[in-house]
Amino acid sequence: MRTAELLRPSRWLPTAVAAAVVLGAWQLVATSTTAVLPTLGSIWSAFTGNAGTLFANAGDTLEEALPGLAGSYVVAVLLAVVMSQSRMLTRALLPLAIALNVSPVIAFAPPLTVFLGLGQMPRVVLAAIITFFPSLINAIVGLASADRGAVEVFETLHASRWETLWRLRLPASLPYLFAAARISAPLSIVGATVAEMVLGGVNVGLGRQIQTWSSYAELNLAWAGIAVLAFFGLLITGIVVALESWVLKARGFR
Amino acid sequence: MLRATSGPRDRLLSAPGTPGADCIVLDGVTKRFDAMAWPALDEVSLSIPQGQFFTVIGPSGAGKSTLLRVLAGISRPDSGRVSVFGEPPEQASRAKHLGWVPQSPALLPWRSVIDNVRLPLQVNRGAKCEARDPEELLARLNLSHARDMLPAHLSGGMRQRVAIARAFAFRPRLLLMDEPFGALDEMTREHVAHLLLELWQAEKPTVIFVTHSVGEAVLLSDTVAVIGRGRLSPSVGIDLGRPRPEGIEDSQGFHQLTASLRAQLRRAFSDAGG
Ligand SMILES: Nc1ncnc2c1ncn2[C@@H]1O[C@H](COP(=O)(O)OP(=O)(O)OP(=O)(O)O)[C@@H](O)[C@H]1O
Ligand SMILES: [Mg+2]
Repeated sequence: MRTAELLRPSRWLPTAVAAAVVLGAWQLVATSTTAVLPTLGSIWSAFTGNAGTLFANAGDTLEEALPGLAGSYVVAVLLAVVMSQSRMLTRALLPLAIALNVSPVIAFAPPLTVFLGLGQMPRVVLAAIITFFPSLINAIVGLASADRGAVEVFETLHASRWETLWRLRLPASLPYLFAAARISAPLSIVGATVAEMVLGGVNVGLGRQIQTWSSYAELNLAWAGIAVLAFFGLLITGIVVALESWVLKARGFR
Repeated sequence: MLRATSGPRDRLLSAPGTPGADCIVLDGVTKRFDAMAWPALDEVSLSIPQGQFFTVIGPSGAGKSTLLRVLAGISRPDSGRVSVFGEPPEQASRAKHLGWVPQSPALLPWRSVIDNVRLPLQVNRGAKCEARDPEELLARLNLSHARDMLPAHLSGGMRQRVAIARAFAFRPRLLLMDEPFGALDEMTREHVAHLLLELWQAEKPTVIFVTHSVGEAVLLSDTVAVIGRGRLSPSVGIDLGRPRPEGIEDSQGFHQLTASLRAQLRRAFSDAGG
């Protein structure tokens, strides 16, 4: 997508209007009943007055989310590759992955602290667990997505499993690997934030601070923190999407 | 005009002595799928001499693709015997004797035209095959200017030509082509068909070609067989000299041949109840 296109009103106007409507409604509720929502102005001044704290803690949260994301992504893709090579292994492992996905992952948090301590490690692990399944499923689907005719070409050439994987299945899965990253990246921030809230532990990270601020009724700050987290979620999603559209184009998928 | 199955055009490639070493043989091949009322292939027997351009024509669902898949060893018949130059299809594909052109060009989107054509030379390197010069192949198919382009930027006709170049790149002894021109408009079809003819004429690999189009069958083939509901009717020879120049489609002989092949098709269908 070219920048010129992004600048066309038909592209940005709907989003801008929707955002304005939501913010306007927010402001309306906030000014009529101050107990529910702080006004946008007071959130803004909380933000400008505490930008340093907010961004430092956001950085701590990203320090948990991103390694968790990267680790689980690599493991998920490798596992999908292994599973694509063996029906037996798929039968053995896929149900486990599904069980992990349907279990209340947050409930893993307290037992995790027992052996991972009160530092940031259990939060990294939780971010990893929460992003694992979407990455795995997308990678599995991607590795099975190669064009049927192309698979037949490889078959009639008697290409080895390895050749078919390396020259066909893996490169063909690229759009799905990007889809996996697009879904998992913001999810990792959710995972880290939730882990901070549920686990307590070391007093860093925006999730941890939002919880504290809320308990002291510092709602302006809490909302400012939420907005900062949302901003970073959007930012890394945006980075992935930009990378995706550039790479997929260069690789001939679009 | 239509004569019985034409004789073998020997090439001196096959090992003499092995029975069936110089032809493709199907002997009572049957393939069933659970959901179907009749077999996809019903006792199909066939012998195609080496070097022949053999076309199978029939309506959708007749079993054409199934026949090719059985010949390629992608699918196993329930009963009957398949022999590709004296060996089972799996053996032939291991030795890299099989070229496959599917209905969709099935190019790898991330590879340039030239790299798509080179693909067969890069896999299964254990099998010794005499590679052709991919650049020369591109030139013959009028693709030299597109050498470094990605498939996404090619027209449908160009993509299909790349798929043909890829199939010829390793000099397969048997080329299996499944409606390769099915997705092309009529003018492009004719053009690509003639390019294929030229390429084939130079080396005369055995070709088994599947199509819906009577005109295409007559233009290309030495022999045509009609398939309906898994049953193959006796093959008919196409007595049209070679080489077949562009414009032959407008000749009297060509029209007569297409007309009588059409009649044959109709008859086959009324017999098969299809
Ligand atoms: N893997 C499969 N499982 C079940 N049925 C199949 C399978 N492959 C083919 N068939 C059935 O076998 C019959 C013949 O299929 P085939 O693909 O050989 O037809 P075709 O002559 O190539 O048709 P078309 O011209 O539409 O490609 C069809 O009825 C099809 O539904
Ligand atoms: Mg078919």
